[in-house]
Amino acid sequence: MKDKSSRRDFLALGLAFPASAMASSSLSGPIDPQAPKPAIQSTGGLSYRVLGKTGLKVTTVGFGCMITSDPSVIEKAADLGINYFDTARGYQGGNNERMVGAALKAKRNNLFIATKTGASTKQEALDHLDKSLSELGTDHVEVWHLHAKSKAAQLTDELIEAQQIAKKQGKIRFAGVSTHSGHAEVIQAMIEKKDHFDVWLPSYNFTMEPAMQALIESAGKAGFGVVGMKVMAGGFRRAKPGEKLYDTLKRDGAMLAALKWVVKDTNVHTTIPSITDMEQLEENMRAMTVPFAKSDETVLAAQLEHIRPLYCRTCGECDTRCPKGLPVSDILRFLSYAEGYGQYSLGRESFLSLPSEARDVRCGDCSYCSVRCPHGVKVAERLGRAQEIFA
Amino acid sequence: MKRLAFLTVLVLVAQAAPAQTIDCGAVPGWRQDGPARSYEPDNLFDYMNGNAEGYLIYRFASMRGITCKHGEDTLVIDLSEMSDPEHAYGMFSATRDQRVPIEPIGMGGQVLPRRAVFVKDKYYLEIAANPAKDHSAALRGFVAAIEKTIRGQTAPPDQISWFPKDGLVPDSVRLVPESVLGLRMLKSGYIGQYDFGKAFLVAESSAESAAALMTKLKDRVGQSTAVGIADEAFTAADKYLDGLCVFRKGRFIGGFANLKGGHDATAAASKLAASVK
Repeated sequence: MKDKSSRRDFLALGLAFPASAMASSSLSGPIDPQAPKPAIQSTGGLSYRVLGKTGLKVTTVGFGCMITSDPSVIEKAADLGINYFDTARGYQGGNNERMVGAALKAKRNNLFIATKTGASTKQEALDHLDKSLSELGTDHVEVWHLHAKSKAAQLTDELIEAQQIAKKQGKIRFAGVSTHSGHAEVIQAMIEKKDHFDVWLPSYNFTMEPAMQALIESAGKAGFGVVGMKVMAGGFRRAKPGEKLYDTLKRDGAMLAALKWVVKDTNVHTTIPSITDMEQLEENMRAMTVPFAKSDETVLAAQLEHIRPLYCRTCGECDTRCPKGLPVSDILRFLSYAEGYGQYSLGRESFLSLPSEARDVRCGDCSYCSVRCPHGVKVAERLGRAQEIFA
Repeated sequence: MKRLAFLTVLVLVAQAAPAQTIDCGAVPGWRQDGPARSYEPDNLFDYMNGNAEGYLIYRFASMRGITCKHGEDTLVIDLSEMSDPEHAYGMFSATRDQRVPIEPIGMGGQVLPRRAVFVKDKYYLEIAANPAKDHSAALRGFVAAIEKTIRGQTAPPDQISWFPKDGLVPDSVRLVPESVLGLRMLKSGYIGQYDFGKAFLVAESSAESAAALMTKLKDRVGQSTAVGIADEAFTAADKYLDGLCVFRKGRFIGGFANLKGGHDATAAASKLAASVK
């Protein structure tokens, strides 16, 4: 019960979690106390924040165009006042940028467009940018991200140089990095090179550990504009039709509650939920005017309750309890890499780094499991699952 | 008798031969670089985080891939299995270069200087080539070799041929896997781009459910005018879909939207309705 209430408190408090304390322990990079505070304004059914040091005044709900099929939805979003649109060179084989450009052409001067390159060399990146601008039908983009960087080493000097060249040429206004995993390592590296970067685009949602909020806060303090993605907790990513999780996430209100949970974090300046239809658009717009409420907290707490048997808090209570000597919380964490965050290879790699005596244990060989999780995780079942998919 | 046994063995061997084979050795001079890749919906993000959703919405089932090298040239070959040929074709039509014609490779394909794609049955193949130069000869070699190893459907989905050709942007008909025309109630269907607007076609499970959906559509657009096409039809105007004409024929709902001023929506929709089988 204690955990349940604390988890609910976490959801309710969100940003009130002692993030700064965690930041100081998890990050050693310089923090700029003079970094601009995000301005928050609300007008005409829209709310705005300043995208960190870029100074761009962005709507707190933007538009992730990746899987949008119909440009009329993008056009309507612009008409309704959403001013931040995110695409990438690689989306839909390059067709996405063309569609986004055509949909936003009439309003281009009042909008901010972000795109990304997955290139690994300077020349390839610059080639990608030229292609992006051509497809988008514009002479510049506001933000150009290095796409899906999960390791500090991927922020190479030549990619940074490509962004600098593009800035000097006026083809981009600001340089960004998108991060789907390895958030701590990447933001640390960005902070160390903070003069080179302006915007961070991490995945961020209510299912993440509170430590993620600390990273977001650190990014804000460093002056980066922060754009949240995967804000719906990957509702379509992890859950499949017919599964309870899918039904829960599709339930009326759950997606909006998840979006509002991110929007209420003032260190996140805008968000880019994927939007495929007019109804989703209208629902998402409400996240800008309807504050996160007790009812949202209940919806999200129910969601967390649903995943409770699967979701390890890494409290460590179970360690040393296994008579076979399994590092239980570690293995559950590895499993969460694969099943919670879609990082199968990381989970497997971590599992295989365990000593062989731990790797070779099969929980099915025990008739009784003495490990009990105080938070309700079905330990034996989850360990068995990890052994099944990793060993 | 011996001959029959020999033929039987041949058939069995042929059936047992590995299907959907991707092999760097299929084209002389190429060798595999690194281990083969294998992904499923749960871990596709490991490979293409930031782009995986684009596969998942087309009912991605699995992917196998290899990287092939020839001197400094690299080909990254990925063969995806989708749930069915319709969604595989949908993936192809969403990601192909829409300015380049479709070639008759499997159900359809394209070979560009640095990229090749094709779809056959429920399989979608992509090859990306590096460095920047014309790799089309090698790409064609691999496409031909891999295409031969895939059995099954070679014709695009029937519905694509139902779109009237007059004014249709060539090869523009594509499967939209959710929210056709940006309307959630139109769950999945085809869109075709015309010089004067866009046509759509959605299949419901039964005529009854299609009729119920028509009622919902009419409610959504507000003021509409009934017209005489197929089982039922109406015209209306919408801020984002502009002039539109929607009909129901059996379990199919179709029509035109975003019609430019002066174009006869009813006539255009009638032609489409006449093609629906």
